[in-house]
Amino acid sequence: MSNKHLFLPSGFIRTPLQNGLGRYIPQLQRITLKFCKNHGGSRGVRDFIETDLMEFAKTNPGTVVYLKPRRHRYPCMVAEYLNGEREYLSCHEFSRAEIQKWLSYMCTRSGIPVMRFRKYQHTDYPSIQGVWNPFTHQAPEINVAQFPHEILSKPVDNGPTATDQLIEIFKKTQIKDPVKPEH
Amino acid sequence: MAALWKTCHQCLRYGLSHKSFYPSVSAINVISKRNFKPRWVAPTLREIKRRKDVEDDRNGGPKIFHRSTFLEWNYDAEIFAFSNRLGEKFNEATLRTALTHKSYVERETARLSDMGVDSYLQIQNNEELAVVGGEMISKFTNGYLRAVFTQVPEELITAMHDFLTSTSNLETVGKHIGLGDLMLCSDFPCESETYVKSLKAVVAALAESSGEERARIFVQDLVVTQLYGLDINELWNPSDPVGNLTDILKREGKAEPEFRLIKHSGQNSVLAVYYVGVYSDKNFIAEGAGESLEIAKEMAAREALKQLFHTEDSMKALPFGRQLKNIQSKIVQLENQPNLPLSKWISEKVTSAVH
Repeated sequence: MSNKHLFLPSGFIRTPLQNGLGRYIPQLQRITLKFCKNHGGSRGVRDFIETDLMEFAKTNPGTVVYLKPRRHRYPCMVAEYLNGEREYLSCHEFSRAEIQKWLSYMCTRSGIPVMRFRKYQHTDYPSIQGVWNPFTHQAPEINVAQFPHEILSKPVDNGPTATDQLIEIFKKTQIKDPVKPEH
Repeated sequence: MAALWKTCHQCLRYGLSHKSFYPSVSAINVISKRNFKPRWVAPTLREIKRRKDVEDDRNGGPKIFHRSTFLEWNYDAEIFAFSNRLGEKFNEATLRTALTHKSYVERETARLSDMGVDSYLQIQNNEELAVVGGEMISKFTNGYLRAVFTQVPEELITAMHDFLTSTSNLETVGKHIGLGDLMLCSDFPCESETYVKSLKAVVAALAESSGEERARIFVQDLVVTQLYGLDINELWNPSDPVGNLTDILKREGKAEPEFRLIKHSGQNSVLAVYYVGVYSDKNFIAEGAGESLEIAKEMAAREALKQLFHTEDSMKALPFGRQLKNIQSKIVQLENQPNLPLSKWISEKVTSAVH
């Protein structure tokens, strides 16, 4: 139930430089795809580069794509974000579709590290009318009132007491003035 | 066995499973997966890290490298991505000039003359562009502030403008649009002034390439939005609110402000609170709270002024981005028209808020 056992840091949702308020700036600065030219584990990356990479680069013109062939090393991708953060992901034995999926994941992130969101809303103005304080709905008459006071000393929403209610019922049962008989 | 496996897994979750040695990064985030490593890997890596930390402490911090020293670096591609990221079209030569600093040109000339090649480098630097850009940023900010805060005195406009065009604000904006790797300068890590100069030069380059209108929208989208979430009354407060309120009411022909105690609690204690209300001709204007009567009186006067200037806590939200489409012409008009100063402020002369 609690989140104390998690090592994942937690925080409130935020965005760097009020992104989206004025214009949306894609936060992925550059992505480096490192792969081996003939090892089997890099097959997915190689297939991706041959088929889907150009389309990816065209749809994300704000991101620089670097390709780094490294012989006898496992494939990986390193994403660098505008706020200076880096994300490393090993792409060993990934399929072409998986690479596509993880790349699109990298594109849509800001560089802020993965964290548990405490709330999915954020506001800088939590109170519009002002935070309640004990004076908020007090009648100004208390300033010049002499206590004990007839109205102010009593509880606010008392309602009619049992005695008052009985008096009301009694009054209703009273015989009204007799109607003058018609002759 | 299960306990051993759990311990191993904990080590791996702490990030000892990856073998990347990027030198310049303080924090590298790993999307971790299950990895089965031999027993000796974690202790070896731990020892290597310990030795590296000792060396770093001896050298006064970890070694940092400019991104351009990496093998995977293409300056042309970075420039192309920079303009596309912002959604703007730049004249490439002007943009490159805007990112080149005088210190870089001097350093290169010195390097060449050291090597014996005595050539005069034809690279232009961004000094003039920075001056023009700085004026533009100042002008566009003022235009926005005066168009949005129509009923605010000029002193507060100046305070907000000074905050938005401050070195720290512009440096943050410059860093977050990716100028850090693109600037050609001799100082590394780059100083705040370098970032600020580059940003100003980029704004000027944008105005030159795509027109002043696009540069105005750029400044509104990137620099002015940093006003969001700020309490503008923290930026500036009148030094004599009671005197100012009296003067304003006198100028408007209304009765003198009368301060009356509304509520109080905890007198003669540490947690005393006094609520003082401002009345003009027995009409309630505002109330303020404070630890003593004098403070409460000043706060009440401040609240009254806030109400007159429409800068209370409950004021309307500031417009940004697309919401500015209808008031762009008004912004342009007010760029050179300062608001009324506090000494001449009168509510009849200020127009109602535009948005």
